Amino acid sequence: MTSPFDQVLIQSDVEQLEQADLSLLETLDHVLNRGLVIAGEITIAVADVDLVFLGLNVLLSSVETANEVLRKRE
Amino acid sequence: MKFYVYCLAEKIDAPPSIRGISGARVDVITVEDWPLFVSEFEGDAAPPVTRENVLAHDAVVRSMLSETTPLPFRFGTVQTQSQLVSYMRTHRAALAAKLAQIRGCVEMNVKIISPADTTGLITTSEPDEQGPGARFLKEKQRELLGSEQRAKEAREVATWLEAQVEPFARQEQVSLCPTEKLIVAAAHLIAREQVTKYRDHLASARNLRPELHFLVSGPWPPYTFSNIELEFKTRFGVS
Repeated sequence: MTSPFDQVLIQSDVEQLEQADLSLLETLDHVLNRGLVIAGEITIAVADVDLVFLGLNVLLSSVETANEVLRKRE
Repeated sequence: MKFYVYCLAEKIDAPPSIRGISGARVDVITVEDWPLFVSEFEGDAAPPVTRENVLAHDAVVRSMLSETTPLPFRFGTVQTQSQLVSYMRTHRAALAAKLAQIRGCVEMNVKIISPADTTGLITTSEPDEQGPGARFLKEKQRELLGSEQRAKEAREVATWLEAQVEPFARQEQVSLCPTEKLIVAAAHLIAREQVTKYRDHLASARNLRPELHFLVSGPWPPYTFSNIELEFKTRFGVS
């Protein structure tokens, strides 16, 4: 699965990103893709995703995470 | 009643004064003798992924980092009390082992980008005389050789990085070539008192590799080293 950080690296030049953007990306990467998982119990609302990071396109990962979890639950 | 769960820790004196996801109050509940940071949660679906909720989750986990090392749950963990009791009871040994593993540590991340262009490894001698099939095969050959070259470079850089952080890292997780530009993404579990030395050492070491671009971040709560399910699957070869 592609992380938010990877998405940005694919689509833009990381050296041109501001430190604040990098910190935000790292936070998204950690909080959404890592951490202790109680298997089969995480459901992330896809329909209500707030596209606050539209410019960086990083929420693709959130949608992917949600879809993957939903697939596992089926 | 359901709970949104942020993290588990060995000792928690009091909940943080900050608010959690959706502005909810953060409480400490004890489940099977384990203190958990939680917020009461209404509804069946997990909270939506918004900038505010993601940052709030991290802020709650991070709030205890100065006192102890928490075991962070992934964003979106919503459980009833009975589900939490069941989980903590059945995973008691693994959770205890994991907490012992991360005790006194934080996570540091290193991402390494190589600007090297490996797409021009083969030069076509007579490009104009080639048909579309030959051009396609040449292009595929170029891609394959480029991938091999990048993989080789990534392995070399990862080995070099491992040697650099070896005196400091209790554990390491490394991904090779996770993206086209990123050749190495590494997470290191570092004892708190070693973080400054780790940073200083990396700062010196990166001067030895001016061709590479380094992104170092942390300290983080040990998100990367928290998942006991993942370790179970890895250990037994189940994907």
